[in-house]
Amino acid sequence: MSKKQVKKVDLGLRQFIKDMGYITGGAAMLGTMPWLQSFTPDKLNELKREKARIAVIGTGSRGQYHIHNLLPMEHVEIVALCDIYPPNLEVAAKLCPQAKKYVDYRKLLESPDIDGVVIATPLNWHAPMVLDALSAGKHVFCEKSMALTMEQCKAIYDTYQTTDRVLYFCMQRMFDEKYIKGMQMIHTGMIGDVVGARCHWFRNHDWRRPVPSPELEKQINWRLYRESSGGLMTELASHQLEVCNWATKRIPQSVVGMGDIVYWKDGREVYDSVSLTYRYNSGVKITYESLISNKFDGMEDQILGNKGTMNLATGKYFLENDNTSGNSGIEQLLSQIGNKVFAAVPAAGSSWRPETKKEYKPHYIIEGDYNINDGLSMIGAVKDGSDEILSSFCQACITGDKGKDIVEEAYSATMLCLLGNQAMDEQRLVEFPEEYKIPYMHF
Amino acid sequence: MKEIVITAKRINKELLLLLACFIFAFLLNAAAVIIYNTPGIEIFTQIGYVVAITLVLYFFITLIRAILFFVKRLFRRA
Repeated sequence: MSKKQVKKVDLGLRQFIKDMGYITGGAAMLGTMPWLQSFTPDKLNELKREKARIAVIGTGSRGQYHIHNLLPMEHVEIVALCDIYPPNLEVAAKLCPQAKKYVDYRKLLESPDIDGVVIATPLNWHAPMVLDALSAGKHVFCEKSMALTMEQCKAIYDTYQTTDRVLYFCMQRMFDEKYIKGMQMIHTGMIGDVVGARCHWFRNHDWRRPVPSPELEKQINWRLYRESSGGLMTELASHQLEVCNWATKRIPQSVVGMGDIVYWKDGREVYDSVSLTYRYNSGVKITYESLISNKFDGMEDQILGNKGTMNLATGKYFLENDNTSGNSGIEQLLSQIGNKVFAAVPAAGSSWRPETKKEYKPHYIIEGDYNINDGLSMIGAVKDGSDEILSSFCQACITGDKGKDIVEEAYSATMLCLLGNQAMDEQRLVEFPEEYKIPYMHF
Repeated sequence: MKEIVITAKRINKELLLLLACFIFAFLLNAAAVIIYNTPGIEIFTQIGYVVAITLVLYFFITLIRAILFFVKRLFRRA
């Protein structure tokens, strides 16, 4: 990768944030997104030639994705790799020939030559590895979701309160410029009051990876089994629920939902079709749906306001009374007269007038080129904030800056995912448990 | 066969009516631009709609005049 490309990877979003801060009044903007406060070009320049010594634990597809993001970063050196599955470790070792190889992460944590670890292992390993790494004095970056159970999430949160180590969870939308700018627009009232949210993630894939021998089935296809995975909720929904909380600045109080195995009846234990409703105390609801046997609607995060709709995943927003809808004044007038005439016709009443979806003119959150995550990749999207959040973590490994609210956002989102699973399993409305509420949460 | 004479007076009358319809349609377009706060250039760019509304208006007025004419003629005969 050329030096120009190396600089662009890191500086693009940093400059974007710096520019946004100056344009909108830095304190006001960054007040709602405090985790970005240190993610500026100036802070990067302060690092000078220091490098964070990073180890990657879990070098499967997602771990390799992170390695590819880490390699061009000038303030990072990958010094160690760890995986219990030799083929994955070998692939990663080819990418980082200078890194030391481990099969036991505990041995890796004993090394004094590691500043921070990137954990990209199955969900059931997140809590033990995060806690062990923090205990070993390492800074930690862990894939989402936070943990497999609510108890584990609380244990991580409580430990974080007492450590001076940096802890990040890979909620990359928090570092995606579409979402950052979109949230700024939402919080300044562009779409009015937030009256709902509608998120979905549709794919058409069995979520399986090739298994060389049967005894490796649960190790490689860990996403399909409850002992190691929270299914569609923890693997996909966590991002989208975090976005909804970010937009509303609230946490839902209750959830109800249904989950089933509709199509992929291949011995898996997790649902392949989920449909849930989360309810905030204000009455605002998140409608969440995920299905992995139809990809027609792709992936969208829609925040609904009384004045418009923000579709963050696609980088577009739409206004309810849009005078730039594309229709001329005379067209709108004739349409309105026509509607009134048809409404006055008594025959069959108003039901025969079709109320099909109106065509809205899209406006773009960001002008110019930007990346859209279509949600189809099982590994990761391009320029979705993943490399930016990783860069911020590595910077924090050098500066010791703990990164405000990242853990709290991850905790909140993961708790909602786990509550959603509970609601589906128990087929009842589930309230957010008092014992798992934290001061950061506003209901 | 009876000869139909279209006098210059008749032609002028019809043209005036057409002009009145055009002015009405033009003003309707202008009003729509104001009401819906659309670009002022639409006064010219939407001339197609103005012409169409003119012709529709003229057609309906002519239809009403024709109906009135035949009704009057019916009463006169009676």
